Amino acid sequence: MDYSNLRRQIIFMKKSFFDQGYLDEQFNQLEELQDESSPNFVEEVVALFLKDSPRLLINIEQAIEKYPQDFYRLDSLVHQLKGSASSIGAVRMKNECSVLKAHGNDKNLEGCRRSLQKMKREHATLKQKLESYFQLLRQVGPRNSAVNSRK
Amino acid sequence: MAPPEEAGGGEFPVGMKVLVVDDDPTCLAVLKQMLVQCRYDATTCSQSTRALSMLRENRRGFDVIISDVHMPDMDGFRLLELVGLEMDLPVIMMSADSRTDIVMKGIKHGACDYLIKPVRMEELKNIWQHVVRKKFSGNKEHEHSGSLDDTDRNRPANNDNEYASSINDGADDSWKSQKKKRDKEEDDSELESGDPSNSSKKPRVVWSVELHQQFVNAVNHLGIDTVPKKILELMNVPGLTRENVASHLQKFRLYLKRIAQHHAGITNPYCTPASSAQVASLGGLDFQALAASGQIPPQALAALQDELLGRTTTSMVLPGRDQSSLRLAAVKGNKPQGEREIAFGQPIFKCQNNSYGAFPQSSPTVGRLPSFSAWPNNKLGMADSTSTLGNVNNSQNSNIVLHELQQQPDTMLSGTLHALDVKPSGIAMPSQSLNTFPASEGLSPNQSGFLTTIPPSMKPEPALPNSQQSNNLLGGIDLINQASTSQPFSNSHGGNLPGLMNHNSNVMPSQGISNFQTGNIPYLVNNSSIGVGSKPPGVLKTESTDSLNQSFGYICGSSPMDSGLLSSQPRNAQFGFLQSPNDVTGGWSLQNVDNYRNTIGPSHPVSSSSSFQSSNVALGKLPDQGRGKNLGFVGKGTCIPNRFAVDEVESPTNSLSHSIGSSGDIPDIFGFSGQM
Repeated sequence: MDYSNLRRQIIFMKKSFFDQGYLDEQFNQLEELQDESSPNFVEEVVALFLKDSPRLLINIEQAIEKYPQDFYRLDSLVHQLKGSASSIGAVRMKNECSVLKAHGNDKNLEGCRRSLQKMKREHATLKQKLESYFQLLRQVGPRNSAVNSRK
Repeated sequence: MAPPEEAGGGEFPVGMKVLVVDDDPTCLAVLKQMLVQCRYDATTCSQSTRALSMLRENRRGFDVIISDVHMPDMDGFRLLELVGLEMDLPVIMMSADSRTDIVMKGIKHGACDYLIKPVRMEELKNIWQHVVRKKFSGNKEHEHSGSLDDTDRNRPANNDNEYASSINDGADDSWKSQKKKRDKEEDDSELESGDPSNSSKKPRVVWSVELHQQFVNAVNHLGIDTVPKKILELMNVPGLTRENVASHLQKFRLYLKRIAQHHAGITNPYCTPASSAQVASLGGLDFQALAASGQIPPQALAALQDELLGRTTTSMVLPGRDQSSLRLAAVKGNKPQGEREIAFGQPIFKCQNNSYGAFPQSSPTVGRLPSFSAWPNNKLGMADSTSTLGNVNNSQNSNIVLHELQQQPDTMLSGTLHALDVKPSGIAMPSQSLNTFPASEGLSPNQSGFLTTIPPSMKPEPALPNSQQSNNLLGGIDLINQASTSQPFSNSHGGNLPGLMNHNSNVMPSQGISNFQTGNIPYLVNNSSIGVGSKPPGVLKTESTDSLNQSFGYICGSSPMDSGLLSSQPRNAQFGFLQSPNDVTGGWSLQNVDNYRNTIGPSHPVSSSSSFQSSNVALGKLPDQGRGKNLGFVGKGTCIPNRFAVDEVESPTNSLSHSIGSSGDIPDIFGFSGQM
């Protein structure tokens, strides 16, 4: 396997995430936390996020769509999602959470819906990107550290 | 982990036990990894209820808690309060919400720090400071109360505190400044009290119960805003200097403030919306004084007063009944009823109508503080014979108390009080939201110290109403503060505000917090000890011996009390908070001197409870004491209204008993067992 090529790809992909604003510094912090005792830490955490967030998104949708709307609960859910997203550095999602929260505080139902749709798209995109990223990483195998060359 | 005493020398932070509570699995995983990388010993938990039970089972199992603010099963602030009251561990709040008012709320509830998500490694690396700080504060206070040679130790502690404050670059400036202020005050007071924290071994002024009572009377007469010189003149005590009075006054004021805040925070369901300042909710305590200090709005004072008076009902304006505020009120089950809350809190105040005695009579609200004797509501055990005190403590009491706290009828409380017995007046206010104290975390020892200062003299003087009151108040309040920090009022050592209930006071268990956790079990009211029989190790002048007599709040060790009140033995938990379990012998660690350096009896290292004790005592003797057991009243039949003690006993158990964790049967002080 052409590791160097793969690694280049990985590095490039990661850089694009940052450049396009999908991820932020927090993601780097996660990578720094990865070590011999937790070699797949980043992937595990991201997987955790991707598994848990759809539940939140569904609950948020329910809070918006049910009648009467429960804005208080909506705020709480969005807050949770925001915290979760920020923990892995998913900055776009985090920002969208802020927007959604603001709409919720204004009780702007339409705004909430639009924001939620956008959030779902962001989530899907991020999921796809990260999953390819980790796939590449796995191909590189134990030389994952090479990816952390940004250090 | 290395004992904190070394101020973090060497391998100190390594292995520090951290408990992380967050309902978000992603955050939890990230935090855990970060903590592991910091070489801490991290435990994660996704539910507050589970976290609390873990803590209760093993109080010394953790050194610091990091908790998210928004959680489904229990509000983070509430957990914070509970932990602060029961276990007196440093709690760090965390949230993606960076709004200033929320951060402020966290600090007011007693959070040591507030981190904004996403949390960075650098921030986590520094969390050990909070543990050390608490320990040192506790040590310092303990030292004060105990012996005269703590000046040497204080020094380093002071330095540490100052250093910690300065290096703490926590985001919350208010917290920092408050802490610094507090530290500074501690230092100042130490110096002022004629006992230079420096090596000089000048004899300190021991604020015995009698002396404190005189002080309180003077302040009552002159008003909390008076000047030390006038107080000194009025007191007319030979050998007392203006500086002594000044530092004592300073502590007293802080104490009142804390209580007020605590009350405010205690959240009375009726309380007016908490308003940002929990302080407001204080309701009547020291309204004037507090109001004067701008801390407590009149309404709070009124509420407090009502509360004290036992005015049940809604009139108790304990504002700020935030859900988060655990405050006793919460414990009580949030009952709006003023009674309940009063029961706890009341004891302190109730003791004497004058509630603190310090408050100028003029203040309408404050003045009204019903004398502690009023313990209206709960007849907590007071009625019982001394024995009750003793046995009440036992788990059953604690349970009762807990229940009481939760929402049980007063009767329960009385039962618990017995256990608390030791606790003199009031301070044992169970869980009274010590939390409310703003950033009081740092305060701790001092605060409680204040109460404890109530000289053990709790002499039997029968209900010294005024004097008692103040004590009680302090005591009671102290209890509240103490909540968990059972640290004996030793806080008072010099610098601390004895009376103040430190809410967070670290109840560092006496002596040297050797491990991270100082292990103080704050309130464990010794079950057995309640005043009866448990011989406090030297605490408070044991004159009172059995009953907490320990004169005001001193949770001093007067033996009987100790156990009950202070004894950290979980069993008694009665107070839950006062108990600063002296670990040592249950007596209050007040050891004699508890905050005010009253050297009561052999300074028993007990340390922790002292603070607690004082509160009880302070409450003044309950008139109805009759029972011999002087709850907390300093043995001699002093004043501390038994009622308080009793009540307190009950309630405290909630918090304390739990925290103590030691005896298995500690009931759920806050009635949380399963309730939350």
